[in-house]
Amino acid sequence: MNPSIPKSGSVQASQAKQPAATRIKLPEDRFDSRLKRTGFNLLPPLLTFVLIFVLWEALIWLLDIKLVILPAPSGIFGELFGEFSFYLPHIWLTFYEAVLGFMLGMAAALLLGVLMSQSRLLERALLPVAVMANVTPIVAIAPLFIIWFGFGALPKVLISAICAFFPMLINSITGFRAIDDNNHEYLKSLHASRFEIFLKLRLPNSLPFILSAARTCMSMSVIGAVVGEMSGASKGLGNVIMVSSNYMQMERTFAAIFLLAIMGIGLTSLVRLAERKLLHWHSAE
Amino acid sequence: MSYISISNLSKRFVRRGQWTEALSSVDLNIAKGSFVSFIGPSGCGKSTLLRIIGGLMKAEEGGIKVGGRSPQEMQADKQFGFVPQAPALFPWRTVLQNMNLPREVNKRSRTDLAEDEADPIELLQAVGLGDFLHAYPKELSGGMRQRVGIVRAFASGAPILLMDEPFSALDEITREVLMHQLVRIWEQHKKTVIFVTHNIQEAVYLSDQVVIMSSRPGRISRVVDIDLPRPRGEKIIESPEFYQYVVRLRESLRERWEA
Repeated sequence: MNPSIPKSGSVQASQAKQPAATRIKLPEDRFDSRLKRTGFNLLPPLLTFVLIFVLWEALIWLLDIKLVILPAPSGIFGELFGEFSFYLPHIWLTFYEAVLGFMLGMAAALLLGVLMSQSRLLERALLPVAVMANVTPIVAIAPLFIIWFGFGALPKVLISAICAFFPMLINSITGFRAIDDNNHEYLKSLHASRFEIFLKLRLPNSLPFILSAARTCMSMSVIGAVVGEMSGASKGLGNVIMVSSNYMQMERTFAAIFLLAIMGIGLTSLVRLAERKLLHWHSAE
Repeated sequence: MSYISISNLSKRFVRRGQWTEALSSVDLNIAKGSFVSFIGPSGCGKSTLLRIIGGLMKAEEGGIKVGGRSPQEMQADKQFGFVPQAPALFPWRTVLQNMNLPREVNKRSRTDLAEDEADPIELLQAVGLGDFLHAYPKELSGGMRQRVGIVRAFASGAPILLMDEPFSALDEITREVLMHQLVRIWEQHKKTVIFVTHNIQEAVYLSDQVVIMSSRPGRISRVVDIDLPRPRGEKIIESPEFYQYVVRLRESLRERWEA
């Protein structure tokens, strides 16, 4: 006999649980609606892009614009997908330089940020140097780096790191300092050491600042990598743009520009994702 | 025998380039396990006095001994449970993680407190926060946050609790609920509590002693013993004795104000 045949009592019980059963479906519904919401959020910008490309294509066809002035989207996408294997190593190199530069710049900025947030003297001594490095146009310094470090990836990584450095430095100092006075005094009442105050209060407090800076730094480091490649390189998307525009290969130039835009969007969305995962406690999230 | 003894204590601040006397020759003795409120107009130095007792500030003159030692020594030994005006909850920590904060820092000092530690979960349940153990501060109301701040002080095992106007930012209804909860927990745990407030009824309802302070310069004008029975229930508030204390306190505060 099947032991799971319900007695009359448990039938009632399972009927009583009916509402609970409908509640169990809720997470699925939620997932569904989340998917829908994501789709809903993606739809408007996607439509805008489609509209821009259609208009663009129509204008070129209507006004008979020459290829060397402005290529049609259809030609650009044709080039991009037709010759994708050509672009792949360039994408990879620029990506590698930008991400490595981002990490290097961020690490240096955080290290200095910790020191400078702890000592006003150090801040006064070092901040002007950082400001000067920031206000000097990176395009002006880039050729020097090529001369010093050659045509490889190293100068690009360094230029990219410099680009990412400053916003991260300023934001991390602010984050380490902008702690709640009540929380600070509370830790002091427990006789917490300076290191403990840093670890338990300043560091987590700086996280929203650091992540918001990271988004800016991420796009800055892509810019840095491309500037580096334009100043002297044999590979990378920056180099592809330089060479192809010299030869009036406009479709290729635009394909590389599109790829850079997509890379920028992808990388900053990654930071945004980290923000959402790490800052769930934050009131702004 | 006095647990906290303060004699001839003075504290000055520089305010707008001028010396301002925050506290002037304060003398006070506080018995172990008593609930003492400090009441007075703003600027009377009651919060300053609380910070001096807790070793967060130093006085220029006079002596202060807490449990026979200096406030700084007591602080280094984590003998204080501090409840600031705004609850010092770290937003990236859940309620329970915030409760554990006193245990996580300054670990070396911990000597004999461990046995006095109360179960944080039990305490949270007692104030109606049993369902919020893993909630983040942003998910709590102001009253709930302050409740966490208060029970954290009780859970830490520290024998002296320093509360700096913990209810001042709350609405009247929440304030009353928290007041009852505080008195109930305190009557169970019998810590020495220094409670700064500017609410007369709060002071009478909670305290064994009310210290009335006056400003410019900050000094103690009167100490009133509150001889109401314990445990104190909500009925006490409606009793004539309670009302008499409130009137007495109000009068002595006003005397000082008008003088």
